Amino acid sequence: MENKSGQAHDQCGSPEHGLHRRRFLEGLGGGVGAISAASWAGLFSNPVFAEQTKRKQKRCILLWLCGGPSQFESWDPKPGRITGGPFKSIPTSLPGYHVSELMPNCAKIMHKLAVVRSMKTDLENHNTAIDLLNRGDKPRPPFVRPTLGSVLGQQLGQLDSPIPNFILLDPCPEGNEFKGFKAGNWAGWLGAEYGPVRLGGQYKLPDVKRLPDITTTDHEEREALRRFIGRKYENDRLSAAASSQNAAFARVKGLMSCADLFDLERLPQKDRDRYGPGTFGLHTLLSRHLVENGAPFVMVANGMPWDSHVFHNEIYQMVIPDLDNIIYQLVTDLEERGMLDDTLVVAMGEFGRTPGINQARGRDHYPKAWSMMMTGCGIKQGVVVGETEKDGYEVASKSYDERNLFATIFTALGLDPHREYDLPGLPTFHYVEEKAEPIRELLA
Amino acid sequence: MAEENKHPKVLAKQAKEVRLPTAAYGLALSDDDNLCHVTGMDGGVHAVEIQSGKTKRIGGHDSYAASLERLPGSQTLISAGYDGRILWHDLAKREVVRDVKAHDFWSWQMKVSADGTRLASVTGRYACGGYKYEPAPEVEPSVRVYDTATGEHLAKFPHIPPVQSLAFSPDNRFLAAGNLMGEIRVWDLAKREQVAKWITGSFTGWGIIKGHYYTGGIFDMRFSDDSNELLVCGMGSTRDPAAGNGKQLWQRFDWRSSPAKKLDETHSGEHGAGLMETLDQHPSGEYFVMAGRLFKGNWNVAFFDTATGKLLHSLDCGMRCSKARFNAAGDKLFIAGTVSQGNDKKKIKQFGRLKVFNLS
Repeated sequence: MENKSGQAHDQCGSPEHGLHRRRFLEGLGGGVGAISAASWAGLFSNPVFAEQTKRKQKRCILLWLCGGPSQFESWDPKPGRITGGPFKSIPTSLPGYHVSELMPNCAKIMHKLAVVRSMKTDLENHNTAIDLLNRGDKPRPPFVRPTLGSVLGQQLGQLDSPIPNFILLDPCPEGNEFKGFKAGNWAGWLGAEYGPVRLGGQYKLPDVKRLPDITTTDHEEREALRRFIGRKYENDRLSAAASSQNAAFARVKGLMSCADLFDLERLPQKDRDRYGPGTFGLHTLLSRHLVENGAPFVMVANGMPWDSHVFHNEIYQMVIPDLDNIIYQLVTDLEERGMLDDTLVVAMGEFGRTPGINQARGRDHYPKAWSMMMTGCGIKQGVVVGETEKDGYEVASKSYDERNLFATIFTALGLDPHREYDLPGLPTFHYVEEKAEPIRELLA
Repeated sequence: MAEENKHPKVLAKQAKEVRLPTAAYGLALSDDDNLCHVTGMDGGVHAVEIQSGKTKRIGGHDSYAASLERLPGSQTLISAGYDGRILWHDLAKREVVRDVKAHDFWSWQMKVSADGTRLASVTGRYACGGYKYEPAPEVEPSVRVYDTATGEHLAKFPHIPPVQSLAFSPDNRFLAAGNLMGEIRVWDLAKREQVAKWITGSFTGWGIIKGHYYTGGIFDMRFSDDSNELLVCGMGSTRDPAAGNGKQLWQRFDWRSSPAKKLDETHSGEHGAGLMETLDQHPSGEYFVMAGRLFKGNWNVAFFDTATGKLLHSLDCGMRCSKARFNAAGDKLFIAGTVSQGNDKKKIKQFGRLKVFNLS
């Protein structure tokens, strides 16, 4: 569904989207049917298209720190306090602001980051909090609000783009509370086509290469026939299932055309060295590569390593320095490539961790006072919003919740946070309910 | 019945509980059963008067203080902490008389040799070294040995960090150290050379449930009285290392065999689940104690027959146990530990614990 200016239906209407879409279609040359693994590389070798893609498209990378990262060992250390843990704090490039000594790299670029230390939410179990921080609001059954990735994929992406609009990189797909969420309905009322394409535990997309004994022409003809029959069935029966199936086929076809983009081994070794060697870092590098090549939203998860009910300090001595390097490399990499101003980077989990150490050497779930980090597109650099009291039990300034956070993300990306969804037959829903305000101090 | 009578008998009954202002990690006894010292999460070294329950901080570290040892027959305590420092405390002068920066990272554990002439401390941060978060190689010596009289640095030995536990042999000749990955190395201190190395994978978990990383490892160890065997403890491996639900585990090795040979381990049906952090041998040599956390089961303090490994007696002492020590007479067991710190700022509680058990 397009209007005269070439904008996809339900997009924000910014000139940047229009420009990008036209460039995209120009780049396609022979039309969508000409896209293949070979032509995809050619598409992005078009200097005009590639340059516009890099400069104009707004994108978002979410480093999803599932399990609930501790604010004490990251953005809100309390050294020497009874709740502070064994790690010290260090000064940053932002005068007067200290982070955990486990984050020396972020300390060096703190003037480029923005931190909120006054997040306060009210759900403290994983299942509900993961849902809350991915959708930006509490459930209202039977209606299912789409996740941030689905909304941004729809708003920032292209309807017929071969590269998925919402990519979830998830190298730890095994059983945990996040697995339960992943099995659910990501796209909600937007429809299945806005759900994520998920890669877990491997870099190459399996089984999406065209078989060698089928020519490109044969493949396209088969696909055209399948598309015709599928659409006809969908239209005749008003079938949501058929619609989802058609969307899935379209997605697979797109993936076939851009499978190489998911191949980390094609990236320079020096890039893998700077982000790696751990899975989270390598998948973050892949997220940079994907947004550079047109993916509007990439969510990088890594299981739930932040859920440190046991061995908290023993785990955090490793995972925080890993995150520190990942954020540092991602931000400097985006900046070096001229992409930081158009790429919103968010690092957060579903809550923080308790001030008190439990009997098992761990910190437990704590939504009452936690921290998160943002930088890039639409975000003021070198800002620290809010604070907690001296032992970190409570927010000691104005607090912000999931609605404020989502309003901030939407606003930073040029989207009206209070806009209504176009949902015929459904109650009125907004991108952010109750006209919740963005965190103004964060916005550029 | 005749078989059962061959086993030593032990019964432990709690006689005293002292509440401490901070979690207690290190414990040093004195000749007087009414006085001991603990180190803890606040970095302090605290004198504890058992009967009155009075505590007094006499010095400390800039971070968690993990270990505390008394030099035999002296008024000197030596502590080691997560600030990487080793402090000598003169109890008569009530001051720190020596301060040695041993490590850039934590001192995970420090012990003094049986003759009191040497101390060793182990360190190492778990850093991401591979795709599966294998530990990266050491960036500083993982094991350091010092002269307790002068503070002189005598030796350093390599290992794979983090190295979490160590033990001197009773004959003062050997030093053993174990790490996160269950790798144990033994050195001849006189020759300053490694004489044994093996890996027990039983104590290390690699997460596939919560996240891809390693947890666990060997948390305490001690040689047998004849120095020929090494007893180690920790938690059995688990698919979800963040759950702390591995079995309560000790293993005993003939370390002089090549390769080292496992002789025994916690017997089937005699364990629950939870991290075991501390071992001590009863002065009689007849049995040893292992203690830690109770995740599942019915005990977190247990006494085992030295000869057979059979569980003799066990109890749930209601706290996480960090350090267990028998007194010289062998009629008391002291355990330092902690309960949960809590999260109500209006109810900051004394969450450290020192418990004394009478043995019969």
